[in-house]
Amino acid sequence: MKKIPLLLVLSLCFVIQSMAQTKTISGLVRDEKNSPVQSASVFVKGTVTGTVTNGEGRFTLSVSDAAKVLVISLVGYSDKEVTIGTSSQFDIVLLPAESKQLQEVVVTALGIPRDKRSLGYATQNIKAEEIQDKGDISIANLLQGKVSGVDITGASGSAGASTNINIRGITSFQGSNQPLFVVDGIPINNEVDLSFSPLRDQQPANRAIDLNPNNIESVNILKGPAAAVLYGSRASAGAIIVTTKKGTPGQKPNVSLNSSYSFQDVTGLPDYQNQYGAGTGGLYNPIGTTSWGPAFNSTPSLINGLMNTAGQVVDYKAYPDNIRNFYERGTTFDNSLSLRGGDNRQNYNLSLGNTDQKGLLPNTSFKRTNISAAFNAILSDRFSLGVSAQYIDGKQVGITQGNGAGSALFQLFSVPRSFDLEFYKTHYKNADGTVNWPLNTTRDNPYFAAYENPVTGKNSRLIGNVKIGYDPFKWLNISYRLGVDQYTDRRKIIIALNSAAVGGVGRVVEDNFYKREINGDLIITAKKENFFIKNLNATLLLGNGINERVYQNEYIQADELNIPGYYNVSNANKFDQSGETSRIRRLYGYYAQASFGYDNYLFVELTGRTDQSSTLPKDKNTYFYPSVSTSFVFTDALKIQSRVLSYGKIRASYAKVGRDADPYQLDNVYLTGSFGNNVAQFTFPYGTIPGWAASTTIGSKTLSPEFTSSYEVGVNFGLFKDRINIDAAYFTGVSKDQILRIALPTSTGYNTKVGNSGKMTNKGFELLVNANIISTKDFRWDATFNFTRIRNKVVSIAEGVTSFPIASGFSFGGAVASFVEGQPYGVVVGNKYLRSPDGQYLINPATGTFFGSEANQIIADPNRDFTSGLTNTFKYKTVTFSFLMDYKQGGDVVSWGVIANRLTGALEETGVDREQPRILPGVIALPNDKYVPNNIQIPAQVYWQAMGQTSGAGDLGVFDATVLRLREVSLSIDLPKSITALSKVFSDLRFTVFGRNLWYYAPNSPFDTEVNTYGASNLRGFELQSTPNVRSMGASLRMTLK
Amino acid sequence: MKMKRYILIIAMFIVAFTSCKKFIDVNTNPNDPVDVPAKLLLTNTTIGTAWISGSYLGRAAAVLMQYNAGLSGDPNDIDVYQMDDKFDNAWNFEIYTTIPNLRIIINKTQAESPAYAGIAKLQMAYIFSVATDLWGDVPYSQAGFATEFPQPRFDKQEDIYQGNGDIKGLLDLVKEGVADLSKPSTTKPTTDDIVYAGNLDKWKRMGNTLLLKLAIQISTRNPTLAKSTISDVITGNTFINDNSLDYEVPFANSTSNQNPYFQYDIVYRPDEEMASLRFINMMKLLNDTVRLNKYYTKPNGVFTGYDNGNNVVAPTLANRSRYNTYVVGSLVSPATAAVPVRIITNYQRAFILAEAAVILGTAGDANALYQEGIKASMKKTGMTDAEINTYFATNPAIVTLAGTTAQKQQQIITQKYIASVGNALEAYNDFRRTGYPALTVSQFAAGDDPNSIPKRYPYISTEAQRNPNQPNPRIRTNVKVWWGL
Repeated sequence: MKKIPLLLVLSLCFVIQSMAQTKTISGLVRDEKNSPVQSASVFVKGTVTGTVTNGEGRFTLSVSDAAKVLVISLVGYSDKEVTIGTSSQFDIVLLPAESKQLQEVVVTALGIPRDKRSLGYATQNIKAEEIQDKGDISIANLLQGKVSGVDITGASGSAGASTNINIRGITSFQGSNQPLFVVDGIPINNEVDLSFSPLRDQQPANRAIDLNPNNIESVNILKGPAAAVLYGSRASAGAIIVTTKKGTPGQKPNVSLNSSYSFQDVTGLPDYQNQYGAGTGGLYNPIGTTSWGPAFNSTPSLINGLMNTAGQVVDYKAYPDNIRNFYERGTTFDNSLSLRGGDNRQNYNLSLGNTDQKGLLPNTSFKRTNISAAFNAILSDRFSLGVSAQYIDGKQVGITQGNGAGSALFQLFSVPRSFDLEFYKTHYKNADGTVNWPLNTTRDNPYFAAYENPVTGKNSRLIGNVKIGYDPFKWLNISYRLGVDQYTDRRKIIIALNSAAVGGVGRVVEDNFYKREINGDLIITAKKENFFIKNLNATLLLGNGINERVYQNEYIQADELNIPGYYNVSNANKFDQSGETSRIRRLYGYYAQASFGYDNYLFVELTGRTDQSSTLPKDKNTYFYPSVSTSFVFTDALKIQSRVLSYGKIRASYAKVGRDADPYQLDNVYLTGSFGNNVAQFTFPYGTIPGWAASTTIGSKTLSPEFTSSYEVGVNFGLFKDRINIDAAYFTGVSKDQILRIALPTSTGYNTKVGNSGKMTNKGFELLVNANIISTKDFRWDATFNFTRIRNKVVSIAEGVTSFPIASGFSFGGAVASFVEGQPYGVVVGNKYLRSPDGQYLINPATGTFFGSEANQIIADPNRDFTSGLTNTFKYKTVTFSFLMDYKQGGDVVSWGVIANRLTGALEETGVDREQPRILPGVIALPNDKYVPNNIQIPAQVYWQAMGQTSGAGDLGVFDATVLRLREVSLSIDLPKSITALSKVFSDLRFTVFGRNLWYYAPNSPFDTEVNTYGASNLRGFELQSTPNVRSMGASLRMTLK
Repeated sequence: MKMKRYILIIAMFIVAFTSCKKFIDVNTNPNDPVDVPAKLLLTNTTIGTAWISGSYLGRAAAVLMQYNAGLSGDPNDIDVYQMDDKFDNAWNFEIYTTIPNLRIIINKTQAESPAYAGIAKLQMAYIFSVATDLWGDVPYSQAGFATEFPQPRFDKQEDIYQGNGDIKGLLDLVKEGVADLSKPSTTKPTTDDIVYAGNLDKWKRMGNTLLLKLAIQISTRNPTLAKSTISDVITGNTFINDNSLDYEVPFANSTSNQNPYFQYDIVYRPDEEMASLRFINMMKLLNDTVRLNKYYTKPNGVFTGYDNGNNVVAPTLANRSRYNTYVVGSLVSPATAAVPVRIITNYQRAFILAEAAVILGTAGDANALYQEGIKASMKKTGMTDAEINTYFATNPAIVTLAGTTAQKQQQIITQKYIASVGNALEAYNDFRRTGYPALTVSQFAAGDDPNSIPKRYPYISTEAQRNPNQPNPRIRTNVKVWWGL
């Protein structure tokens, strides 16, 4: 009698027992070199009875008398079948799998596993070991630098901050360009929910951060529309297919445990000067917010304020780390526990994960707890079932960034070099509860903002899915899957009484986001081998999908608090700025795919999908789009047998993807009236009197879907017996008839108009090389290199429009992220100082500073020239050392932080030769249209203040974002089997030390440019006085229990 | 057995592939209405007129007119005439996006309830007058019609005021609005009219006084039209002739309903501006310190100003003369009292009629009107009758017009300037039209021309980006507008 482990999924228990006459057999499994083979699975053919070999390659198994054949298998070896007969002792030799280019199975759209050789488009697979123990908790960040064709930039080092992912460039002018995240076949939500503009908010997460990287088996990146077409509209920006860990067939219950601890320090701050303190014009000002005061160690006098009226020398010195020390040491404690196992009919995985991160900024944190359970079973000859459920509980506590009155970070830029900020950490408020901040009575002490005005987001999320498979015939499979992803993010934003953020009256905001997404897919797959002709395999897939997305937001703004420290909305007098928003959208899709494979070397695939969307006008809501792809393994077809070229494949694909609109874009609507902004604002109702105004956006009754077409050609080469694998692709894409909020001149009375227009192209080249450089018995050196170069161009926008903002209302000192005809997407348009015809600054002969500026100039281009990454992995016996370096060439960042600190004289460069007069670079125009070099001397303060204007001209705050980075380093030691074999507790044990972002080199910038205040957004290339980056170091322990 | 399987498959097909119309039909917006009655729009446009006068535009004019001096932020930039990118919000979301709301009111009510249409026309005329006075040529006849005119042309200022061919001028627009107010109206404003509570006679007075303001503004270029327009208003005798009839938009203590001056100068940016030393000195020379103290605080018994454009360290906040309750209502936040934004006023009317009598020869005793203006202003600031009488008794030379036409005009405009604290746009208009009061440029002036107080506001970069009809490079700020001096 044999009992198979209990499986528990969603409170369902399955107990499967079998009873029969049994006998015990045993044996040894060896490889061709006579070495024992561990972990090979040994099964009685056609049953669930089986085991795996131990460290000495031995196995013991109870089998029924009816058992006839044993199947022995292990990845990398050919399966072996042995007749049992009457023997009870077996000696089995496994031979390595013969086929070159081992069949690599990748998970493609709709969760369909496919042999990679049959694909006519690019995908890239990232395995668990490439993302675990790498010093980050966000799956998006963990993919950085590893994937060709993909640009990933985090918002900042703020705990839980969002991360922007663009696959093969930007394809939609104003729609989301974030890829679709799919977990175990079910799309999940990866949006960022903003309570306010990121400029006046903490940096909220994008929701892919809810995934526990420790529970991920692999991530497959579907790069082009051809790869993702079956997902329809939503994957037009590519898809990231996450496969979670499963129990392995033939494994006994396997408990693994992972624990890591790391700490994070600020990195990427500019260097500051430490020679001059608070004041202006060389004169001391005890509450000055600039560092243009007298030099430290200068002769004290009553005039320079270094001496008080009593004649005593006043303490006046530099606090070199006053800014740096505002950023605290963050810590991350990450624990995972999993139980998984299974046999060849069923498997299960229970996983528990907990991440506890204390942020870089004071009083910030990110916590995440994941509980998941998955169960898959073959119920009978015809039916299979898979269920999984995951619950995520998250909490993000952040502080307000940006330049609003309540921002904690903004005031840091007004802290002079002689200011003891540390003192104000413990004295951030006065005895009466008011803010203690002498530098600016209308702004908050940064510590007051951090400790008294936290922004908390509590996220509860449930992701579940059920899959049922039914095989009425051998050639036909019908499956249905239903997935639900639902979360509620409950935000609480507190602004304490006395805080300058809302004029001292206090505020509590309850901002609750509810999102639910349901996906249901019916998929019918028919397979036929030797279809009409021999060796032609055909697969036909018919599918029907429904998608529903529901959004609800309830916003309660409780103003004018009565009782200090009591942060409940009932503690307020005024609620008239509260409101709710709800949205629903539905999509109904039919799709079909026909795949043909001839003799395992020529593959052709045709796909078509028709969507019907709720968000488009009724006569335009149904739209069709096709794709075709082909792949040709010429080394097999032509029987090329070469020592150099062991595998060769060429591929090509074309795809078109349609995309619908956001809900409710068709009508003109009215909104509650309001005027002003953060310096003075009026919002209705006025007492009890309502006031309404026409929305500044004009709707469209004739909206139609937008389309992106793409072409891709690529090659895959295996060289030197597949020691080197090359995957290269060239692609082009055209996006047309974009659904846009076309900017109108506001003199029309409106700000934007919804419509279809515009054209944008992308061209790109991507390369991925995997090389096994050295492979000996004990030592192995592997390297992976990726390279991406994308060129994007906005071909046209709308009739008469040659330039307009990506999102209206986002102008930063006149700098606006825009599309400009003939330029790459997202260039920043702003004011540029006037130049002479040969491009030099024009200097005002009266003042010696810049002459003036011109509006609507392109001042920055955030698009990179190219990106590349190189991972090296060295293995010596059980020691593995790996590091990833990546290099990003080009791309601009507009930095308010640097500009602000130039203006205040805090930056290192402003302290150099400060007593010496300076001359701004540029020329002076003479009346005869000639130009002479500027020779007007101006004081350093005037010079740097001219160089530090955020308004008027933004081009001096733009920095080249070229950066070389040591992104990941890890060193792991696996305890040798010889030792683990002695332990009764664990079978595998790995210890890792890791570092992340340990070093960077940004040759053209005084700060680390790999930040973007807007995070996961189409607005790129802005550092708007938000958090810098972090450097992380830590250690982890991973073990599998016996 | 097989049969059963086929039936199952067919059943699944039927269920799955039956498209359901209702399933898709969910695109009705539950969040925002697609239509609202005119009365709900009027309250919003009324606040709009106050925001136009009292937020970015008026605040900058108050610095340029040297009521205030800038210490940091925008006021500091304005003080040295660095004016780029300061007015996007005002142009985009105060002036021009208010226009379609007024047009919607007119379209909805012209036939049945012209009381609303009339009010909307008066507000529209005021708003466009602010735009053209500050920027010269601006979108006017094509503004607010996004579908018909996606890129409105910039009409000439003379055409905006006087009309030309298909362009209906502001003067005619106001007359039309006043006429609408006399027509029978099915519905009339009540509590939604936060200024006059539905009293249409008061609106007519506002309209005719607005007409006076527009007329005097073009007196430099078209004195004939100015004179006839003003004479007609005098004859009609329906204009603001008492402080209680002023067009002023009230505000409240409650956050989000507060006066913009209060919010900027007390709540959000109290550190950025304070009283100008120049204004304080001027008021001292005129012995007008009682009124000065209504306008500005007097910490520790001393008026402490700051020179325009200066860059020395300012006194601490507590020791600065800043806007007093007349302008901001409350000196502390949370607010304890609220005051209105004053837009078309009785003192303004009296000074206009006084000036018109002097320079255009319209009916009325200039000196009496001049004194009426001073008294109306003083009264409005809260001075007592005794204080006013004392001032008049002790300063006869100041309160009596004398000398040449130019000297009389200077006296009138100087007093109008003093009265216009809190409505600096009008002072800025008068200054550019008459050159009075005599102001000198700020210290360390920069911007387009360090040697002259800007004669216009610079055009808006967002409009330039979207509308090729806006002159680019923009017109420099030392170029006068059409009616300018």
